[in-house]
Amino acid sequence: MSKLDGKDILITGASQGLGREMALRFAREGARALSLVARHADKLNAVRDEVLKIAPKVDIVTIEADVSKSRDIERIVATTLAQFKGGLDVLVNNASTIGPSPMPYLLDYSVENFREVLDTNLIGPFLLIKNALPAMIERGGSIINVTSDAGQVGYPGWGAYGISKFGLEGMSQTWASELEESGVRVNWVDPGNMNTAMHRAAEPEEDPSEWANPADVTDVFIFLASDESKGVTGKRFQAQEDWRSELNHEGHEEHEAKKI
Amino acid sequence: MVFTFVLPPELSAKEPPERRGIRRDQVRLLVIDRATGHIEHTRFDKIDKYLRPGDLLVFNSSRTLPASLRGCECSAAHGPCMEVRLAERLPDGSWLALLLCEQGDPFGCGLRAGMQIEFAEGLAATVLERDANIPRLWQLRFSISGTELVDLIYRLGKPIRYEYVSAPWDLDYYQTVYATEPGSAEMPSAGRAFTWKLLLDLKRRGIDSAYVVLHAGLSSYMDDELDRQHPASEEEYFVSRTTAGKINQARENGGRIAVGTTVVRALESAADSDGCVHEKQGYTRLTIDSQHRLKAVDGLLTGLHEPEASHPDRRGAFLSAGPRRPAYEEAVPRKYLQHECRDVNLIP
Repeated sequence: MSKLDGKDILITGASQGLGREMALRFAREGARALSLVARHADKLNAVRDEVLKIAPKVDIVTIEADVSKSRDIERIVATTLAQFKGGLDVLVNNASTIGPSPMPYLLDYSVENFREVLDTNLIGPFLLIKNALPAMIERGGSIINVTSDAGQVGYPGWGAYGISKFGLEGMSQTWASELEESGVRVNWVDPGNMNTAMHRAAEPEEDPSEWANPADVTDVFIFLASDESKGVTGKRFQAQEDWRSELNHEGHEEHEAKKI
Repeated sequence: MVFTFVLPPELSAKEPPERRGIRRDQVRLLVIDRATGHIEHTRFDKIDKYLRPGDLLVFNSSRTLPASLRGCECSAAHGPCMEVRLAERLPDGSWLALLLCEQGDPFGCGLRAGMQIEFAEGLAATVLERDANIPRLWQLRFSISGTELVDLIYRLGKPIRYEYVSAPWDLDYYQTVYATEPGSAEMPSAGRAFTWKLLLDLKRRGIDSAYVVLHAGLSSYMDDELDRQHPASEEEYFVSRTTAGKINQARENGGRIAVGTTVVRALESAADSDGCVHEKQGYTRLTIDSQHRLKAVDGLLTGLHEPEASHPDRRGAFLSAGPRRPAYEEAVPRKYLQHECRDVNLIP
């Protein structure tokens, strides 16, 4: 039996980078159905074709949409649930934007650009969770938000992007605590430095060959999407660190605390 | 016996409660005890006082479509334009829809079988024939189907709105918080007042939830005479094995409270003569009225309606006219609101 057997999964930002790699890996791990969302239909359809080569039986729908638009969010969820017959097991909020490139200092940020980044990186995930939750709550499910170390450290020049990720991490904590007894778990993952188009645009001076290939950071997403992570909620994961040992260590500490 | 009364038009909810400065669960609640006829007036977020551990709330999780589309007849001369209100998806993938001409008489712009309607973004439909049961409806076949059509309906459509609303509220206001699968022409509105906090609090108290899907059709055919006749529309429904199991178990432990008359229709359609509910999917024409003997439902949460002016009087199956009359007579001077963003009535 594969790790994701029978799982119905929605991934935003699925046409490239980490989103694309997750789609391929989820299909390999036995996902029953995938809803792939991104702004560019041609790239999405290319990913769909790749997925179907790996897993011809996966039920797949591609949705060309912009998560910064609330009307698109309603359509993403409705179209996904029409395809999946009303159920959803996993939602991955992966789509994000860095905003203007090169990234300006906050002092130089226009309010329009600032809002655009927050709409995509923070309001979009909020609305997606709000709309998708009813389809998860009856059967239990997993929400995975993709964050960044810029969501914990105020790096100069990472302006609205970093602030949006600070917000995403805070929002994830709140969702996790509000949904604690519901059967829906909420966790967030910092994938670390990856060689993606977005990261290359954010740091054009850096050498991308030193960054991880997005295909190499997907283990933690498989863990969180699978039943192996049942009971794990409200936690931050760093994909390129030894997250499994840390989890075991934390679990051990909690167990010891309960004994006391 | 059927009783009649009129809800004054000023009691139409023109705005969602969130736009009236209150939360969706702060609308008013009129409680009529089914056994004693005792009446209480309270607020919806205090509903837990009237429920017991072991009770099961059964919701209709059908999601509201933006079911109003604008199209024009495709012809050499510029054809008339119309509002197409989707009513119901049929088993063969075609749809029943109400066609309302934009200019003049809403039914007077030459609507006919064979007509081609063009919408935006390349969507088109062929008008097949009038519906035999509800002749104001036409059967349409769209140029695309399935998920692709759902996607385009959400791109192009608007929620069906009636004249009493004060602004063109977004689709979000026409959804219950627990809506999942899209398919209703209009919101199954009895459960609109529930919030997730309330649902989770109730669950902690031992009052569980279960979900059915019944894709609700149109509440009006924009034809007073036809609306007065309440033609029994056919609606698609689905009762899962999990839900059937919960309902049968609740029969032993507590009350089965239907949140909305669409839920009553689905459950009574899926129940056998002993009241046991089965996993079932199909279309129902079942009429629930004062003559119907309830088998699978003990209580009802619903809105206040004029019994003869809108829906078939499904509340009559729960409570005779005797105890309902004084309750409604109290509700009107207290200005209980009606329609989709309304105050609600619990009959436990």
